[in-house]
Parts: sequence; structure tokens; C-alpha cells
Amino acid sequence: MIALSILSPFAVALLAPWLVRRFRRSEQILAAWPAILAVVLVTELRSTLNAGSRHIELPWAPSLGLSLSFNLDGLGLLFALLITAIGALVVLYASRYLEDHPQAGRFYAALFAFMGAMLGVALSDNILTLFVFWELTGFTSFLLIGFEHEREDARSAALQALIVTGAGGLALLAAGVLLVDVSGTTSLSAMTASRDSIVTNPFYGAIATLVLLAAFTKSAQVPFHFWLPNAMAAPTPVSAYLHSATMVKAGVYLVARMTPILGATNLWATAVTAAGAVTMLLGAYRSVQETDLKRILAYSTVSALGVLTMLLGVGTREATVAALVYLVAHACYKGALFLVAGAIDHETGTRDVTVLAGLGRAMPVTAFAGSAAALSMAGVPLTLGFVGKDGAYEALLHGQGWSAWLLALMVLASILLGLAGLVAGVVPFRGTPSAEEVRDPVWPLWMPPLTLALCGIGAGVVPWILSAPLSAAAAAILNAPVDLSLAVWHGPSPAVMLSVLTLLGVGAAYGGRDIVRRRTWRPGRGTELLYTGSLSALNAISRVIAPPLHSASLRSYVMVIVVTSIVMVGAALITVPGLPTSAPDMNVRPHEVLIVVVIIAGAIAATLAKSTMAAVLSLGVVGYGVATTFLIFGAPDLAMTQFSVETLTVIIYVLVFRHFRKLGGLSPRLVRYRDAFIALGIGTLIGGLVLSVSTTETAPRLREYFAEFGPTLGHGRNIVNVILVDFRAFDTMGEITVLATAAIGVRALLRLALPGTIGSESVEVPTSPIFRTAARLLMPLLLLFAVFLLLRGHNEPGGGFVGGLVAAAAFALYAIAFGVARARQALLVKPMTLLGAGLLIALASDVPAVLRGQPFMTAQWTFGVVTAGTPMVFDIGVFLVVSGVALMMIFSLGEES
Amino acid sequence: MRALVLPILVPLTTAAILLLAPKRPLLQRWVALTGSILLLGSTLMLFRRVEGEGIQVLQVSGWPAPFGITIVADLLAAMLVVMVGVVGVAVTAAAFAGVDPRRESFGYHPLIQILLMGVSGAFLTGDLFNLYVWFEVMLVASFVLMALHRTSAQVEAAFKYVTINLIASSIFLTALGLLYGVAGTLNMADLARLWPTTRTPGVDMVLAVLFVIAFSIKAGLFPLFFWLPASYHTPPAAIGAVFAGLLTKVGVYALMRVFTLLFQGAAPALFTLLLVMSVATMVIGLVAALNERDFRRILSFNLVAHIGYTTASLSLLTPAALAGSIFYVLHHIVVIANLFLVSGVLLRLRRTTDMIGLGGMYRTQPVFSVLAMVPIFSLAGVPPLSGFLGKLAILEGVFDAGAYWVGGMVLVVGLLTLLSMGRTWTDAFWRPAETAVDMTTPGTPLLIAISGLSLVTLAITFGAGPLFELTSRAAHQLLQREEYVRAVLRGLP
Amino acid sequence: MEVLLAIASGVLYAAGIYLMLRRRLAQLIIGLSLLSNGTNLLIFTAGGLTRAQPPVVPDGADRLMPPYADPVPQALVLTAIVIGFGLLAFSLVLAHRVHATIGSDDVDEIGRGR
Repeated sequence: MIALSILSPFAVALLAPWLVRRFRRSEQILAAWPAILAVVLVTELRSTLNAGSRHIELPWAPSLGLSLSFNLDGLGLLFALLITAIGALVVLYASRYLEDHPQAGRFYAALFAFMGAMLGVALSDNILTLFVFWELTGFTSFLLIGFEHEREDARSAALQALIVTGAGGLALLAAGVLLVDVSGTTSLSAMTASRDSIVTNPFYGAIATLVLLAAFTKSAQVPFHFWLPNAMAAPTPVSAYLHSATMVKAGVYLVARMTPILGATNLWATAVTAAGAVTMLLGAYRSVQETDLKRILAYSTVSALGVLTMLLGVGTREATVAALVYLVAHACYKGALFLVAGAIDHETGTRDVTVLAGLGRAMPVTAFAGSAAALSMAGVPLTLGFVGKDGAYEALLHGQGWSAWLLALMVLASILLGLAGLVAGVVPFRGTPSAEEVRDPVWPLWMPPLTLALCGIGAGVVPWILSAPLSAAAAAILNAPVDLSLAVWHGPSPAVMLSVLTLLGVGAAYGGRDIVRRRTWRPGRGTELLYTGSLSALNAISRVIAPPLHSASLRSYVMVIVVTSIVMVGAALITVPGLPTSAPDMNVRPHEVLIVVVIIAGAIAATLAKSTMAAVLSLGVVGYGVATTFLIFGAPDLAMTQFSVETLTVIIYVLVFRHFRKLGGLSPRLVRYRDAFIALGIGTLIGGLVLSVSTTETAPRLREYFAEFGPTLGHGRNIVNVILVDFRAFDTMGEITVLATAAIGVRALLRLALPGTIGSESVEVPTSPIFRTAARLLMPLLLLFAVFLLLRGHNEPGGGFVGGLVAAAAFALYAIAFGVARARQALLVKPMTLLGAGLLIALASDVPAVLRGQPFMTAQWTFGVVTAGTPMVFDIGVFLVVSGVALMMIFSLGEES
Repeated sequence: MRALVLPILVPLTTAAILLLAPKRPLLQRWVALTGSILLLGSTLMLFRRVEGEGIQVLQVSGWPAPFGITIVADLLAAMLVVMVGVVGVAVTAAAFAGVDPRRESFGYHPLIQILLMGVSGAFLTGDLFNLYVWFEVMLVASFVLMALHRTSAQVEAAFKYVTINLIASSIFLTALGLLYGVAGTLNMADLARLWPTTRTPGVDMVLAVLFVIAFSIKAGLFPLFFWLPASYHTPPAAIGAVFAGLLTKVGVYALMRVFTLLFQGAAPALFTLLLVMSVATMVIGLVAALNERDFRRILSFNLVAHIGYTTASLSLLTPAALAGSIFYVLHHIVVIANLFLVSGVLLRLRRTTDMIGLGGMYRTQPVFSVLAMVPIFSLAGVPPLSGFLGKLAILEGVFDAGAYWVGGMVLVVGLLTLLSMGRTWTDAFWRPAETAVDMTTPGTPLLIAISGLSLVTLAITFGAGPLFELTSRAAHQLLQREEYVRAVLRGLP
Repeated sequence: MEVLLAIASGVLYAAGIYLMLRRRLAQLIIGLSLLSNGTNLLIFTAGGLTRAQPPVVPDGADRLMPPYADPVPQALVLTAIVIGFGLLAFSLVLAHRVHATIGSDDVDEIGRGR
């Protein structure tokens, strides 16, 4: 039940756009939900104080280590309360601030999603799920900062925040996975128990550094603080909620939550304290130099986060408690000041403190809120801000080592911060008003800041109401029970003196505030250069490496592949040596040598050829040479197929290469030598590999099986054909699909051609009557031969492939003699139909097996006068496909356009 | 088990019907969609069988392995084939938003079906040469789809694509020829038994390297990946979606299969090789993406970089790392296909995917923008979307294997992806359009397809637990090869 | 005899790769052709060469008696030849289209955005 409440803001987020569009004033109702949640959480807190923390778990992906487990202890509930209570006020405020904005629905969706995520961060017990929520807060913050997305500064600020906090987030993820490995559990509360083993583990340093990286980026610690002032491009409710009261505190929360697990080591204490101190000072210093209300507040927030971090780094009981008080106080007064700034902006249209003056008369309620908040920020007694500051001074006074220095720095920072508060919350209201018409804004715009400011005052007057919840929170951090009693007055002490000193300083600074603002040195861009610099560097590298990756010449790509292959294969041969080499059979016949010489000569001729015709002829020579080789070495089917394919290839080449006349002559000589060298490398490797592999005995298992069962079970004596249409018919099916698709492609490309390209120079039709007569005679003979090859293929060399090619050759001959048009008529059907029919027949031949309950494509035979079976039908299908494909290509290429 | 061949037969039949049917666009689209839905159904059915009963095997043509060709579905293959079905439905649905008429009349729809068939066949085959055949089926279909061009950029990109892939096929074939000469068999299970023992290690290593090269070209790994960013940004969006979602994954699958089935005993140098190539791919791919101003080019580089994630994790060859790798592949198929469909909407709206022509859509197209957020930020790894879960799975696996620096690279590249996608989002959607305006509607079928794929991404989010358990089971199944070998060879001596 | 064919394969691969690195479109395609032939020869040779009878069972016999040529590489090569033919024809036509589109047969001109 509680778990669902924690996750409920996500549901609201999904509904928000619709609600906002449908119902007017619904945003104010939306605000009610977090208010209700806050009340629920208070009840939880109360029960926690009595009974201890509560664990809830919802499963998500346990095998990955993710579960929605929540630990409701003091620390988490304190944050959760802040998130929901301030959230309610902010939603209420936004309802009027963003009145009638066309994208308001998406705003509330993002805002509530953020709220849910932030609650998840605060209450999560599973460290990996905590990361999920952590990144979600970063992402929703991105959406919210970029809300005014048409402004360049909003977009770049949003992206900057996303990347900086995202980097930290990924560090957190790494730390989380490591922690799970080291501690054996994903539960944070369980990890607390095994603290000692974690701290002594060799990975501790890495884990701690990564966690701190995450915390420092999120909470804007130096050097990662630059994104926060830039994030002020967000609408003010967002700045108030995310970037002062909640999200930026997540880093502080992380430090606090991790203290019992990773803290109390030198590394931790030094890093945390140092970062906090530097940030505190830098933030305060810069805040008084700004003129934009929100930037003043942003830098002061940075400083406040530094204070909190520093105090957590000091880590004593007093310091921890002081940090918690300071945290609550800050949430109240800073939130109030932001909302006041927004109200001022809303009414007057400016946030420039040098211009604003005299608004007090026109906006009395807002002025009151602002002043009350400013007083708390300055640390005037009877405000919660005073209690927090006082506690911090006390803690530092009682500390050791560097504490004295830290104290001094803190006093200085506090003076500056007090000044900043006054400038933001008091100055705009004092003085003489300008002529413009200004009024107090509507109640949703002054009620929230007033409430927050009054809380700050109220809790300052009766601070003991916070004692119990803060004790619980501190106890969670320190992993020891804490009993706390906050009071307004502890009696005279050096801390009080320091507070007085601070206030005096604030007064003095106030008097000279203009000088402070104008005459102090500004550091310039500072650490933001880290970000912009890295981006520029990345972009520069990218500009260098990207173009070659996609725009280089095709030859470069080929070169890279070839060289890589040589290198890798070479490396393989070196690292794992041992190529088998049996003595090769050196018994060669003269005709074998001749054929190989012919092949090699053809290849070299093709390489050196200067005209395409010469190259094509050489290619033909090579092809026929290879075919002859097949013949010599006992592969008649192969030889026939190779002869036919080579003939067809040459014909197609001739038809297409009419348009490419010249060869060579473009590359410089050195390049050619280089390429030749590489090519020779490949050739040698291949030659060596082939030699090595061919001289080793190949296991005879497969061929023996085929040799035995081909004739018997396969009912065919041509084993190669039986393999193609029966044993490995599945391959053949894929193969004819490839053929068919290629044919579709060729046809499409030729049709896509603009008129006047391929085929525009028609193939001359030889008019010699002798030729025609011969063609008329030969064609049917060839066709007959083709069918003959098909039918006998299962038992003698032949088969569907060769038959189809010969059949196509028959029509090609006819086309050469009589023209393509006549040849098409002679064919009676379109090549495409042959193709389709062939595919279907081939498919159909495989179906009977299924109908009889056998695996797909199993051959079915009938025995009678003739032995017939489905593989032969399959072969017919192959025949038709091959002839269809070849004819399609020949006709299309030979056609007049 | 007859259903095993359906994922291959269904798209083939659909293609045949489409080739014979009249060329009316609406008819073609409906037939294609029906066929894809049937395909998805058959893959889901297959998956259920595999998940419940174990590895499914079919000896095609009735001959026992290793003499005939075996079709095998283990968990990995079954899950991948389901993804084929999902992408198929998404792409054929998206076609209703309009396809270039010339493409459609020249066989766009049957070609997509043939491509799906080739991919399914590649995932399901248990024979290495048969794998080559299915590679060729899928490649030639992709060649023709690429070649049906309208612009000159498209035909030029197609030519580069074709050439490089033909070289890859030659390398694959070379390796196959040598392999048969050495081992005397092409059945994968059979090879698994033979490989580490009787052959000489030198040849083994060379063959392994050749296979790695051939498959790495297809998968898109450095330094063999140049063809991808050079060509994937040119074809129309739906074709890009299928290419990016499925074609590269076949290369990754092939690597997974040979590494787990055959190379487990190989010299460590082989794994280091794959690891180094993968990490280089991750980094170079993403850094290059940062310079790009065209949405689809950005996607192509991101695609390549994230493939590196999966193969880096694969190279570690531990159950956890492999599970992470498989999980990431599944997530990536969905997200990258989705992103290419998003680019399709951009093309409809603005006739370009160059940032100059984009911008302002957050305001003008709210529904589309919010929908597009899912794949864009899932790729970037924003939790709780599938990209984060995949990254977490890989990170856990990688750390578990002790490869901390690889984990570091995973995170750094993750941050760069966040930057790349963040920038893309702000430039394409948030930035006000300078002069460009929306020229038409986003196209409801496209939006429906994008929603569908986004829903799958969300399903991965919520079902991460069961899904990761499945991938872990698949990883274990892959690494202990006995179940696979036994299922295929059925006790052959 | 293996030596001869090994050399032949090597030469074909070398010639094919060399041509594929040239700048003329036509040479690239011819190179692909040579490479394809080389691969076919490689598969054929690697499987083991026999001068003996082809794997066709003689009439009247019921099985093949060794020595006979291994039918498996032959089947593989046949498949490869046919697939190669289809792909080659397609590449040829595509090359022609590219030539017509960019108006040049210089490979380096392909993809150089205009």
C-alpha cells in the first residue's frame, strides 16, 4: 500500500496531460495529491519514530538485481516529506504561473514523474533501483529545464545538466554493481551491516570515488557546479522545486545515506569535507556578484549545498545534526525566495536587482514572505536558519584538525550568503517604487512562499518540534541512536558570538553591497570549461574520424578489408602455428599443367587488359579453363554447369560492357605496385591454405554415406544430383530463391533505367539466312537436349540446373538470329511466369511429405514402370526457375528500349 | 516438429503470392501484413515449444544429421525469430503510410518477405553451408531493395553495400571450402564434436579468423564496418528499419553461434581479437556519431557502436556476460528498428532527416514527439527503459567476468550515447524550425507501428525479470553444448 | 596435382583482389568474377582431388566403389556457381546504373556527394 503511494506520482504523471486539458483549474486539484502523500508520510514518520524503520518490497527483475524495495527510515522519510510538501506548494504555484500554457500538460507530467523519481531516490533500499530513480530525476530535470524549448539557452542548459548529472549517474551505476559484488547484497540497509568488510575491500577506493562523483555532480559541488546556475533557464517553479529544494539535495542525500556504509575513512572525510568547503566559499562569493535574482539564488544554493556536504564530511554527531537542521531551513527559505523571485518576475517582467525597487507597497504579502525568508537565510535569531547556523558553528568549534579553518570559511560564507538573501528578498521591496502598475499576484503565487517562509520562522521559534524526526534521520546516518533536543537558546557560547559577528558582517556588507557586487573579481568561465572543452574536443575528434568512415572511396573500404584479412590470418598462422602438410602428390599430367597454365594466363590477361572486350575474353578463358579442370577431376555436372554459366556470363558482359570501353590508366604506378603487392599476399595465403588443406585426408563419412544411400534410398545414380535435390535440397531451395530475387532485381534495375541507356544500341540482328536457318534447326534440338539433360540428371550427369541453362541458351540463340521480340513470342510465356511456376512446383514437391507426417521435403517415391519421385519434380521446378532467370536476363539485356 | 519450418515457409509463401498477385498497392499491403502476422504467430508458437520442451529439431528431407540439413531451434534462435516476426509486422504495417509507387510495383513487398525468410532461415539452420545460402537469400533481397532507388545517392550507396557484402560472402565461402576439406562435415553440431580434438590447431585458428572476419563485416565491427554508415542512411525508413534491426543481428548471431558451439576451446587470442574489435567499434562509432547532422547517419553510427556492446560481452564467454549480450541484442533490435521508423515520420513531415530541415516538432507534433521519446531515450539508456536494462545486464556480466575496463568503456560509451541522443532530441524536436514546416501528417500507420514497437520496449521494461531469466537460460544452453549436439545428432557415434 | 590447382586458386584470388582495387568500375566487376571463380576452385580443390571416376554409380552397380571424386564439394560448388551467377548479373546491371547515374566509370567518384 505504502509502496503504491510512493509510486503514485508516476500514475499522476501519466494522467496529468489529459486532466489538464479536460478540466480547468485541475492543476490545483493535482496539488492536493502530494499534500495527501505528505500527510501519509508524516504518519509513517511517527510510526517509525516509535517502532523503527519499515521495509517494503515489490519484485521487478530479481535476476538482474532490481527490486522495488523501500526502507522507510528517518532519513528517507525526512526527505520524502520535503519532496511531497514542497511539491504540493510548487504545483499550486505553477497552476497560476504557467496559466494556459499550451504544453502545461506535459509540464505537470514531467513534474510529477520527477516527484515520483525523487521519492524513489529517498526511500529506495535497493542500490540499483536507487540508480534508476536517480537517473530519472536527471531525465525529468532535463525535460523541465528545457521546457521553454524554443530558447537556445534553455536547450543547452538542459543538455548540460543531463550530461553532467548523467555522467555522475553512470558512476553511481558502476559503484552500485561493484558494491553488490563486494557486499553480496543489493540492500542498502543490509550493506550497513557489512560496512567493515566493504571498507577494507580493495575496491573500496573505486567505489567511494564513484559514489562521490555521483553525489558531487548532482549536488553541484566544485568542479561540477556550473550546470546549476545555467539551469535557471527553467521556469521558476522548477528552479524552486528541483534546483534548490529537492533534486540538488539528492547528492547530499547520497552522501548521507552512504556514510554508514562507506564513510569514516580518510578518503571519504577528506574528499567530502574539502569539496564542501570549496563549494561553500565559491558559491557564496559568486552569488553576491550576480544581478539576476535567480542566479543569485542559484549560486547561494550551490554554497548551501557546499555547507551541507562539508558538515557531513566532518561527520561528528553535532555536525550531522547541524547539517540536517540546515537542510530543512534551507529548503524553507530558499524555496520561498525562489517563489518570491518568480512572483516578482511574473508581475514586473524583470529579475534584475539593479532595476527592481519599491515593490513593497504594491506587493505587501510577497514582500513579507521575502523578508522573512531573507532573515532566516541571514541567520537572525528566532529563525530556523539561525538554529542551523548556530549548530554548525558549534560543531566546527568542537571539531579537530582543520575545523578551525572551516569555521572561518563558514563565517565568511555566511556573511556573503546573508547579503545575498537580503538582496534577493528585501532589496526589491524597499525604496521608491517605479511608475508601473504592480499588484500582489493571485493567491497561488503568494501563498506557497509565505507558507515556506513562515515555516522557517515558526520552526525557529519552536525548534523542538523537529527534534524527533531529525533524531531519527541522524540515527540513520550515524548508525547509532541519537537523542536530540533543539532549542532556541543554548546559553552564551563562542558560537553565539560568531553568529553575532556574522550578522554584523551582513549588515556591513549590505551597506556596501553595490561595491561588493561591482568591484570584486569575477573568475570567468571557470570549471564550465571542463564541459565545453570536452565537448569541443569530442567534436573535433569526431570531425576528423567521421568523414572517412562513410564517404571514403569504395576502394579504401575494400583495401581495409583485404589488409585486415591478411593481417589477421597472418597473425593466426603465427600465434597458433601448425598447418598440416602432407607431401603433395607431385605426379602431374601434361594436360593438367596446360589447363592450369591457361587459367593463370587468362587471369593475368584479364588483369592487364586495356579494353573491356579483351578482359571479358580473358575472363571467358579462365571460366572455360576452370570448367575443363572440373572435367579432368571427375566432376562432369560441374563442368557442364560451369561451361553454360560462363557462356551466359560472357554474353551478359558483352551486352553491358558496350558502355564501358576503356580499362586501367587511372591509378599511378606506385599505387598499382602497392595493390599488386597486397594482392600477391592474398594469393600466397590462399594458395598455401589450399595446398595444406587439400593434401590432408578429408574425413570420408559424408561421401561414403551418400555413395551408399544415394543409389539405394535416393534412387539416383548421379550422386551429386541426388545431393542437390534430395539430401541437401534445402540448400537448393534457398538457391533458387536467390536466383529468382536476383532476376527480379535485374529486371527492376533495367526498367528503372532512363530511356536511352542499356539496350539503346540494339544488338544487330544478323540477317544471314544461313544463320537463321541454322538457328531454326538448332533451337528445338537444344531444347530437346535440355529436357534430356533434365530427365536423365538423377542417374547420369545432367540435372535441372544444366538443363535450364541449355534451354535458355536455345532461346538466346533464337534471339540472336531473329531478335528478342520474336524469341519472346516463341517462348509463349513470360520468363517471370516460368520463374513463378518453377518456384511453386519446387515448393509443391515438398508438401506431400508433410501430408504424410514426415519431415518437410522428404522424398516420396512411386515405383512402377518408371521410378518417379518428388525430388525429380523438384528438379523440374529448378529447371523452370533457372531457365526463367536466364531468359529474363538475356531478353531484358538484349532488348531494344 | 513441423512448426519449425514455418518461419521460413510462411514468408516464402507470402512472397510467392505477392509476386503472382496483381500489383495493386492496397492489396499487396494487406497480403504482406497478413503474412507477417502469420509469421509472428508461427514464431511465437515455436518459442513456446522451445521454452517448454527444450531444443526443437527437424531433419529436412528426412535424412539424419549430419548427412542431411538440420533445422534447430534453441532458446536463442527461438527468441531471435520472434523478433523477426515483430519487426516484420511493424514494417509491413508501416507500409500502409505509403510506399514509393515504383518500388511497390517492382516487388517491394515480396522482397521484404524474402528478406524475412532469409533471416529466419539463418537463425534456424544447423548447417554452416546452409547458413551461407540463407545469408545469400537475405543479402540478395537487401541488394534489390537497396537498388530500387529514386535518388542517385541511393544507387551509389547500394553499390558500395553490394560490393562489400559480396566480398564478405566470398570470405565466408572460402572458409567453408577449407572447412569441409579439413573436417569433412558441415553440420554445426557435428563440427562441435570434431573441432577441438582431431584437427591441427593452425588451421583451426585460420578458419576461426576467417569466420570472424566474414561475420564481423556483416555485423558491422571495426575495422570492417565502413559500409554501414556509408549506406544505411539512404534507403527509405522502413527498409532501413529492417536492415538495422535484423541484418546486422544475423552477423552477431553467427558470431554467437560459432563462438559458443565451435570456438570455446580456441586460443585466448581469438577472444581478445573480438574484444578489441568490439571496444574499438563502440568508441569509434559513437564518437563519429557526434559529428553527424543527419538523423539517419546518427542512427547508423549508434547502431554500429551498440553492436560493439553485444560482441564485447560475447567475447568474454561467461554465462552472465553472454546473457547480457543476448538481452541487449533483443532490446536493440526493437529500439533501432523503431528509430528508423521514427526517421520515416521525419521524412514524411520534412522530406529530409538533416537537422537543418528538422526542429520544432515538440510543438507541432506532440503525440509523435512523446512517442519518439521512448526509442530515443531507451537507446540512450535512460532507466527504466530497455536500454538501461540491457546496459545493466551487460555491466553485471562484464564485471562478473572481471573485465572492469570493458565495463568502464560500456559506461563511457553510454554517456556518449546520452549526449548523442540528447543532442539529437534537442536539435530535432525542441529547437524551433528555421524555415521548415510540416508538409503533411506523420502518417497514422507509421505512428501505430512506432507505438507497437515502443510497447514492446515497455514490455521489456516491465518483464525484465522473466526476460533476463530466459536469456540466462539461453546463455547456459549455448555454453553447455551437449544439449544442442545431442538434440541434433541423436546419439550418432 | 594439388599444387597446380592451389597455385591457380591463389592466382585467381590475387588477380581478383588486384582488379577490385582498381579505379575502373568494369575492372571491379571483373575482379569479382575472378574472385568467384577462385573461390569455386578453392572449394573444389580443398575437398580433395581425384582423377578417378566421377561420383556417378555405373549402370548395374548398386553403389560407388572407391576411388571416386567426392560429391559433396561438387554439390557445394554447383550451388556457389549458380548463386554467383545470379549475383554477378545483378552487380553488373547495378554497376551500369551507377555508371549512368554519375556519368563516370571512376570508382572513386561513387558516393562523393554532389
